[in-house]
Amino acid sequence: MTKSNITKLAGIVLLSIFMLLVPVFVKNDYYMLVINRLLINIVIVLGLNFITGLTGQMNLGTAGIFALGAYTSALLSKNLGISPWLGMLAAVCMGLLIGVGLGFPSLRIKGVYLSLTTIGFAEVVRLLCANLNDVTGGTQGLRQIPPFSVFGFKFNTQQSVYYLFLVIALIAFFIACRITYSKWGRVFKSLRDNVEAVEMCGVNIASVKIKAFTLAAVFGSIGGSMYAHYMGYMNPSTFNTDLSANFVIMLMVGGIGSVVGNVVGAVIVTALPEVLRFLGTYYQLVFATIIVLGAIFLPNGWGDGIRRLYRWIRKKCVGQKTQEGGAENE
Amino acid sequence: MPPSHRFGGEAYNDDPHVEKECKPMLAILIQLLVSGIALGFIYALVGIEYTLVWNSTGLLNFSHDKLITLGAYIFGGTLVLGLGLNSWLSVIIAMIVSGIVGALVASTIFNPLRNMRSTIFAVMGTIMLGRILYEATRLIWGPIPFTVPNWLTGNVIIHDISITKANLYICVVSIVVVACLQTFLTFTKTGKAMRCVAQNKKAAALMGINVSQNICITTGISSIICCIIGMLIIPLFNIDVNMASMIGLKGFSAGVIGGFGYMPGAILGGLIIGIVENLSVAVLPAVYKDVVSFVLLILFLLVRPGGILGKKA
Amino acid sequence: MSSLLQVSNITKRFQGLVAVNDLSLTMEHRTIHALIGPNGAGKTTTINLITGVTPLTSGEVQLDGKTISGLPTFQVARSGIGRTFQNIKVFPSMTLLENVMVGGHEIAPMGILKGLFNMRGAQKEEKLLKEKAEQILDYIGMYKWKDELMENLPYGRQKISELARALMTGPKLILLDEPAAGLNPSERSELVKVIMKVYEDGTDFFLIEHNMDVIMKISSKITVLNFGSKIAEGTPKEIQNNDEVIKAYLGRKYQAQSQN
Repeated sequence: MTKSNITKLAGIVLLSIFMLLVPVFVKNDYYMLVINRLLINIVIVLGLNFITGLTGQMNLGTAGIFALGAYTSALLSKNLGISPWLGMLAAVCMGLLIGVGLGFPSLRIKGVYLSLTTIGFAEVVRLLCANLNDVTGGTQGLRQIPPFSVFGFKFNTQQSVYYLFLVIALIAFFIACRITYSKWGRVFKSLRDNVEAVEMCGVNIASVKIKAFTLAAVFGSIGGSMYAHYMGYMNPSTFNTDLSANFVIMLMVGGIGSVVGNVVGAVIVTALPEVLRFLGTYYQLVFATIIVLGAIFLPNGWGDGIRRLYRWIRKKCVGQKTQEGGAENE
Repeated sequence: MPPSHRFGGEAYNDDPHVEKECKPMLAILIQLLVSGIALGFIYALVGIEYTLVWNSTGLLNFSHDKLITLGAYIFGGTLVLGLGLNSWLSVIIAMIVSGIVGALVASTIFNPLRNMRSTIFAVMGTIMLGRILYEATRLIWGPIPFTVPNWLTGNVIIHDISITKANLYICVVSIVVVACLQTFLTFTKTGKAMRCVAQNKKAAALMGINVSQNICITTGISSIICCIIGMLIIPLFNIDVNMASMIGLKGFSAGVIGGFGYMPGAILGGLIIGIVENLSVAVLPAVYKDVVSFVLLILFLLVRPGGILGKKA
Repeated sequence: MSSLLQVSNITKRFQGLVAVNDLSLTMEHRTIHALIGPNGAGKTTTINLITGVTPLTSGEVQLDGKTISGLPTFQVARSGIGRTFQNIKVFPSMTLLENVMVGGHEIAPMGILKGLFNMRGAQKEEKLLKEKAEQILDYIGMYKWKDELMENLPYGRQKISELARALMTGPKLILLDEPAAGLNPSERSELVKVIMKVYEDGTDFFLIEHNMDVIMKISSKITVLNFGSKIAEGTPKEIQNNDEVIKAYLGRKYQAQSQN
């Protein structure tokens, strides 16, 4: 075993111990809520990465996907009394449908047009959820959504939900890694750069794009289902364009296309408002300003910015050292 | 989480045509048509305002609804109610201030963003700019909605059809704005330069046009139009931080339906959306009014992405 | 046995403009066939028509006796045609090796789901793909740059890498759209060497080129286009002495050279 492998293994072990112990240290229910929401966000951003990060198709309709997943799962388990897990399965099917439904337009529509289409989709979903009073509960929202349960054990405390979501998020992370760093991730990325060339390699662009959309939609729907059964209550006004934008911000902050970056982005964007809470009413303003400055000055994500800073500092230090060394030699 | 009901349909509750019921069908239809045309002109102005920015910077300005709101707040909140100035003087000052804000935004945010490799940053940059404006507005003027008394109110009654003056003002002012803009673009040197930049930035730069400065001017003009829209819609919706959210999104639909990046297209698209969604009230339940324009948007994007007047798909 | 590429009476009209007019040509197995002509003669359009990028107005294209006209581009590619582009189309944000590996996406048959569950198989497939890409890079002499980002490579290298990418699918025929354009003389001679090497190992080429030195050196048959129509066809020698070709395209210089 090489040295770098050992450090890697040690890192993974430390990280897993840390993740397992989070509920032991965090006693505050509000912070556990934030952490659980973070895990949901991670799942959704990992999905969004396929379409917006790798394939480069600007999707501003994540809120619509999220909402459809949440409502499908919640309504089925609440009205038909089926298990939330089956609800989640139904949400996955819904994700497949959305993926194909949004993927087909993306074959003809590019760039900004696609952003507008996805916004339109999300708005239609939100308006329907708000206005189909008989089915969705309308603007009053949907109440008493049953929580997840396994063999009679109900996931109704923050801590138990944390472990459940941690498992789901880890599975999602694992799947995202496997796909991103396989030939599929490569072909997604190549679509972002040059479509004609990919097509000339015998790749069916249409099917690949739809696959990317479907992956995003399935991850998003699962996130929606998690949200619904976790919160127990939801309101259509949650699923607005701001929410879609938030997911893209997570992607952007973490560095587009990198799976670990997605997680980092989700952590930063979910945690930053909490960190900035001391600013009181100004925190949203400061938060938005930070993101804009980040977009302008750190176009490869904040992670890249930190890496560049680190490299720059190390270069300075190493440079000084070699200079000193040189001086000694003389 | 940001405040709820950002894009809620609640703002439409005080639409002028809702309460009239015991009128003949024709009169109601005509009233719906007039308010549809008026709203259509608003959408058309929104379409023009973001098309200007789109053509000159290649950025889709997702913060435009917040600029509209800002214009209304400057006019209503500070100048008329705060300082007690005369309405018409306030209109002029509000337009000037908005223009300056637009130019500032262009030079600090749009110019650096437009050269980004990935469109994601450009889009997110303007969305976050919108949030900054939103938060700034909320912090300066507070979250409670208000309105400007005696501003564009009253009705005109012809036979048994009553039309609000606000709708008439909207139509007249929109036509004047479009005419002024067209004259400006056709006959002034700056206007011609703006059209050059819209078509080919590199060639324009080689011909000695200062592209960055030109973008500032264009965004300034766009921001002035936003301010005009904001002042015009005060009687329709109250002054509120979310007053323009729906209008902003529907303005995008207007542009796409008419022909993206093409001003006559934006006007046509705006009128179509305004009329169709207002007349849809006669057929569908009123709550689906907002859905109509988005369904139209998606349909057009799928079937004819170039829009009605667009040249290429 | 049928010829490798059979283009019969293809025509392309862009609204009023006739870009390619009733063009027929036959390319035999084991040849390098060149298509030349002045700018705007319809050469790139012809390649786009063969690969299905632009739909035909009329006519038919056959590869090895099978009709490929009317198929979408990716199926044309799968039937055994590779291609490089006039203005390079590479994936600048990926490494050279990844660029070449994208070319092999279709030869690895595993789908997303199968790849997720059959981890061992997916790894094996990925390894095979990588080995093949490395082999090809070695073959064309670019192995040492395999981990460079594409955008950091010089233009000439990027251009040759397109050929490597096309080779990944193991095509019978590769269409080269102005492979030598923008290359300096040493890169150009290296390109000719690579093309000849690939040709000798069994892949045929159909190329468009403006550089007559390259054309005359490597091609076995030349078709000349002008205003979308074929004006001459023959061996390099015949073309050099064809009056019409000289008038339309070559000029006096090449005739003089061939007489010397």
